[in-house]
Amino acid sequence: MDYFGQLLANGLVLGAIYALTAVAFTLVYGVVRLVNFAFGELFMLGAFLTTSLMLPEVRLFGTVVPMPGFPLPIAALGAIVITGVIGVVVDRIAYRPLRNAPRLAPLITSIAVSVVLQSLAQTIWGAEELRFPQFYLATLEPVVLFDSIYLSVMDLVVMATAVVAMLGLSLFIARSSLGRAMRASAEDQTAAMLVGIPVNRVVAAAFAIGSGFAALAGLLYAQTYGFAHSSMGFLPGLKALTAAVLGGIGSVPGAALGGLILGLVEALGAGYLPNGTAWKDAISFVLLVGLLYMRPQGLLGRPELNSAGRGSLLGGASAAGAGWLQAIFARGDALLARGAAAGTPAAFGLLAVAVIVGLMVPSDYWLRILTMVVIYGMLASGLNVIVGFAGLLDLGFVAFWAVGSYLTSILFVLVLKDGYGVAPQEVWWLLYLNLPLAGLLAAGFAVLLGTPTLKLRGDYLAIMTLGFGEIVRVVAINWMDLTNGPMGIRGIPAPNLFGIALGSPRAQFFFALALAVVVVFAVARLVRSYVGRAWVAIREDEEAAEAMGVPTARYKLYAYATSGFVGGFVGVFYAHSQQYISPLNFSLFENILLLMLVVLGGLGTFLGPFVGALIWIVFLQLALDLPFVQAYPETRFALLGVVLIVLMVFRPQGLAASARVGLTMPGARAKEAA
Amino acid sequence: MMGAETGALLEARQVIVRFGGLEAVGGLDMAVARGAIHGLIGPNGAGKTTVLNVLTGFIRPTAGRLVFDGEEIGGLNVNGFARRGLARTFQNIRLFGAMTVLESVLVGAHQRFSASAPALIFGARTARAAERAMIARAHELLAFVGLGRDVADRVATTLSYGHQRRVEIARALMSSPKLLLLDEPLAGMNALEKQEIADLVRQVRAQGITVLLIEHDMQIVRSLCDHLTVLEYGKLLADGEPEQVLADPAVQAAYLGRAR
Ligand SMILES: Nc1ncnc2c1ncn2[C@@H]1O[C@H](COP(=O)(O)OP(=O)(O)OP(=O)(O)O)[C@@H](O)[C@H]1O
Ligand SMILES: [Mg+2]
Repeated sequence: MDYFGQLLANGLVLGAIYALTAVAFTLVYGVVRLVNFAFGELFMLGAFLTTSLMLPEVRLFGTVVPMPGFPLPIAALGAIVITGVIGVVVDRIAYRPLRNAPRLAPLITSIAVSVVLQSLAQTIWGAEELRFPQFYLATLEPVVLFDSIYLSVMDLVVMATAVVAMLGLSLFIARSSLGRAMRASAEDQTAAMLVGIPVNRVVAAAFAIGSGFAALAGLLYAQTYGFAHSSMGFLPGLKALTAAVLGGIGSVPGAALGGLILGLVEALGAGYLPNGTAWKDAISFVLLVGLLYMRPQGLLGRPELNSAGRGSLLGGASAAGAGWLQAIFARGDALLARGAAAGTPAAFGLLAVAVIVGLMVPSDYWLRILTMVVIYGMLASGLNVIVGFAGLLDLGFVAFWAVGSYLTSILFVLVLKDGYGVAPQEVWWLLYLNLPLAGLLAAGFAVLLGTPTLKLRGDYLAIMTLGFGEIVRVVAINWMDLTNGPMGIRGIPAPNLFGIALGSPRAQFFFALALAVVVVFAVARLVRSYVGRAWVAIREDEEAAEAMGVPTARYKLYAYATSGFVGGFVGVFYAHSQQYISPLNFSLFENILLLMLVVLGGLGTFLGPFVGALIWIVFLQLALDLPFVQAYPETRFALLGVVLIVLMVFRPQGLAASARVGLTMPGARAKEAA
Repeated sequence: MMGAETGALLEARQVIVRFGGLEAVGGLDMAVARGAIHGLIGPNGAGKTTVLNVLTGFIRPTAGRLVFDGEEIGGLNVNGFARRGLARTFQNIRLFGAMTVLESVLVGAHQRFSASAPALIFGARTARAAERAMIARAHELLAFVGLGRDVADRVATTLSYGHQRRVEIARALMSSPKLLLLDEPLAGMNALEKQEIADLVRQVRAQGITVLLIEHDMQIVRSLCDHLTVLEYGKLLADGEPEQVLADPAVQAAYLGRAR
């Protein structure tokens, strides 16, 4: 009973924090149908701002800056107001231009905003934790309930604050004219516009209030756990989103309920399940995935929110944007279009260039970087099948990559070397067997994970795949016997062919290049056929595709399987080229990075993923020569995020969009012309 | 009195569709005879598109049965309807963005491809032959609907409105359907274009494809259709030969009543 009571208390505190953040997601989703992934970062900003305002001095950009040292309530109020303003500014700059864009655009933008905010916070406050200062309330004796449950005064304050904030919000929505306008827009935006509700102002208000709630949750979290850190908003943000979906996104009481349930389940699960603390993150995501499968609209939500918008980032978006920007791209576009029209010869030309570069580059250092470009280009190509061609935003792709890397590493190191004492050189051929094997395994895995997502569309799909990705990562960390856990697996042998070691950077580059040829060739053959046409038709208009006789569910699974195959296939080589893997290699951030590379280069092209990878990875290195970047390496990620936001607004189809992919078999067209 | 023995290709029995409180279709019985050009008419909001959506599986009716070519099809997916031989166009054109005309039309032939993934990747001869045959058929159909070869490689959504309608018809025909359902194919066209599309519909029928079409222009309907079904407020108002149906005072009242 004592133990239960204590867990219950912990769960309530956690639940209050999740509920407050979930309200942010729900409010904004209600009025603009946008899952603003950046609320996790606004949560983090609330924590940093409050902590900073309470301290007498803080290190900002590495220099000590005097701070006012406000008491908690004043600092909290300041932080909430500042974060609210940031939220409104973000909406104005990044989201408002995309109101009528396809759903994928604001979703990707919000991910980019997260990356920008997190990188900036790390630049400003540094990579270390900022300790939450001691203050009067926190020094009081805990309250003891039933002789056994210890509740600190601050725990009670957290719960009371959450309750008051929720009641206040409900009152605001029910009574004030702005609140009523918000509810009306949530019910039916077009109708709201027709009766003269200023929708932009209502949206701004939703962002202001939502961001304020996220900040409040963040500062309460920082207070409870005693620190602020630039990545602290990530997991609570996802959990809060889970809570919002759980309750039925768009519904404020739903968010409160969802937060509470999630907090309790997590606390009780951590307490009672064997090794529960380690698995507690997985609990939330399993709950999320199960719920989305059985009742996508959540406990209190409405089913129609799970609807697909028609159109994609590629269909019809090309003419948008400022004239000067178009002018910049015009030249390259013409060149790419000519290259794409040339088709196979252009591909051979590019391959020849890559071979020459591989032969000429003298430094091992740059060869390694170019190998990374090819690996990331291949992975991005795999992701491109599902996101770029089939139009399904998959945030769990890294799981397939992880399957490939772990399969080969476990076989070579844990089973053969450690288990049976077989030296890797003796079984060099296993690598070549593992490539297709891992591909098939990951493809099977992809179908398994894809099946429950078939009913889901748009935002819900992204959230569910994200849940899967996180579950796989948590499993990789905790299933020690299989994966060696967070220590990872060391000593994975470099590739070897008939006893000839291919460990040199140059050999590895060419190995990667050969695999890339296989991947691009196979994917291109599938895309340039009725399969690719079915994928693109699904991306552009799923219902119309069905009406043309395309079994859309089956073709979505084919897209998952293809994407999974590439992920697993490349994952094998990745492990052998890195010679060390750990769950950290396969984080959600990697998935987001791959997504950004595809979007940067151009969704739905063969060239785009490689262009994105080349630009980004080479830039990462070159920028390190700048003193400013040496001091603040994270600013590079902030820049990537900014570039992506600009792209989404002005050129959503990506840089290499004009390397348009034809969807008919090349040979078939050639004959016809003759 | 209705049924396979009377030669009906498609039959709907006691179809009811409710949207919340609104009964958009209320207990409709209708039969489309084999080889007919069957007109579905009625004032705006009468429920014509809703009926067409039911007949193509887009909307699962609240109650009622559908029999197509002697087979119960009510429980199928939308793609199942298409695979049985029902092809449609949309009142608001729905072509695939970012696809060329040729590619869009080829999507209509989806069910006629069967190459496996390895066959595609290794470029098997059968896979190439199928692709070539379908591309040739697509060009034929584009010519059939009155589009020149020069439009084949243009992005479909950049074409003029009239041409987009024709691409949609070609796409629907690509599946070699038994029944072609057209939702206001003449809307927004000038008199000449209307005549062209009407001729096209006759040619389609001449190829043995039954046509169901929704249309507001009574002149065209009278000359084109063999049979008319009139809806008002989701209910059957009249059904029969065009001359006889259009002379029905109730039908005239329905149109005049709304025309104010
Ligand atoms: N998805 C839906 N949800 C709710 N109501 C609908 C839906 N689709 C149609 N309706 C309603 O059903 C009724 C019939 O609509 P429908 O589109 O079938 O009419 P229609 O005869 O095709 O009209 P029009 O000639 O204008 O195309 C209308 O009142 C319409 O508002
Ligand atoms: Mg209609």
